[in-house]
Amino acid sequence: MNDYVPPPLEGLYAWALTVESAPLGVAIAESRFAFAIIEGIHLIGLVFAVGLLFLIDLRLMGVLLRGVSVHRVLAQLRPWAIAGFVTIFITGTLLFWSSAGRLVQSPVFPIKLGLIALAGLNALYFELVIARSEAVRQHPWQLPLSARLAGASSLLLWTLVIIAGRLIPYLPTWQTTL
Amino acid sequence: MTVEHLLDLLQNSFIARAVSKSDHLVGAALQIFHIIGFLLLLAALLLVVLRAFGSALVELPLARVRRDAGRLALAGFALTFTSGLLIFIATPRLYVHNWAFLLKMALLAAALLVQWTLVCRLLQREQTPRLLGRATLVLSLGLWFGVSIAGRMIGFI
Repeated sequence: MNDYVPPPLEGLYAWALTVESAPLGVAIAESRFAFAIIEGIHLIGLVFAVGLLFLIDLRLMGVLLRGVSVHRVLAQLRPWAIAGFVTIFITGTLLFWSSAGRLVQSPVFPIKLGLIALAGLNALYFELVIARSEAVRQHPWQLPLSARLAGASSLLLWTLVIIAGRLIPYLPTWQTTL
Repeated sequence: MTVEHLLDLLQNSFIARAVSKSDHLVGAALQIFHIIGFLLLLAALLLVVLRAFGSALVELPLARVRRDAGRLALAGFALTFTSGLLIFIATPRLYVHNWAFLLKMALLAAALLVQWTLVCRLLQREQTPRLLGRATLVLSLGLWFGVSIAGRMIGFI
């Protein structure tokens, strides 16, 4: 049997097969270059989103760009990073659309999504709590430990997202894992 | 010596054998280093371009941004170049007949040429680049993005 998934995922897998056989998914999967080009745009989106985020994280950790206050770095780079995230999200959805079944069969794919969710929560907590705290507002040059830790966590989580994403084609499916 | 000879020599070298005989996860790890190095390199270049356009870090002098980003770009390039070389020498014959790989190498050569000749000179001036300078920066970034798309296509040809 070539399409085994653990019982709790059976419904999801059936849904994934429906998604995959929808016209857009089929068109991408059958086109000679569409999938590869969307992958390429996904990578460029990654440069804007995660690449710039790495720079922000390194600023938070006090490694790079120490001459600019954190709030200025965030205000200036945030729109570009968000544009990158929108690009990754759109291309990622298209890639999923064309190979949903294979992705649901991969144990690493949910790990990647989980790590993205954690990275998102970390960013939200930083933006809503840490960046607005007195300590950060009064000392934007000498950041408190909380801000440096948020930067380090973001750097680590996004690195893990990239590792998990790249491992999808290299690691076994549920069928061979269980 | 022909190209084929050279490829044989490469493929039979000690390092190439070590890579190709190792577990496929070593190959995966090299791919991951290749992407992370590339991300660091391009993020650094993007930062300098945004600064030169006056879109980011305007309170820092261009020279300062160039220095900080330059270090990061070099580190990223070293990482992506080393891992890329190791990926290549393990199975060079697989790559030299792949047109996406050849396109990637051509775009890479063009990107490096533009970087070392035009962009570096442009950024050494203190004032914000004007129209022609900005067009050069966009061209340089476009070439690097071309490298990433062509690179991503290699596995699908």
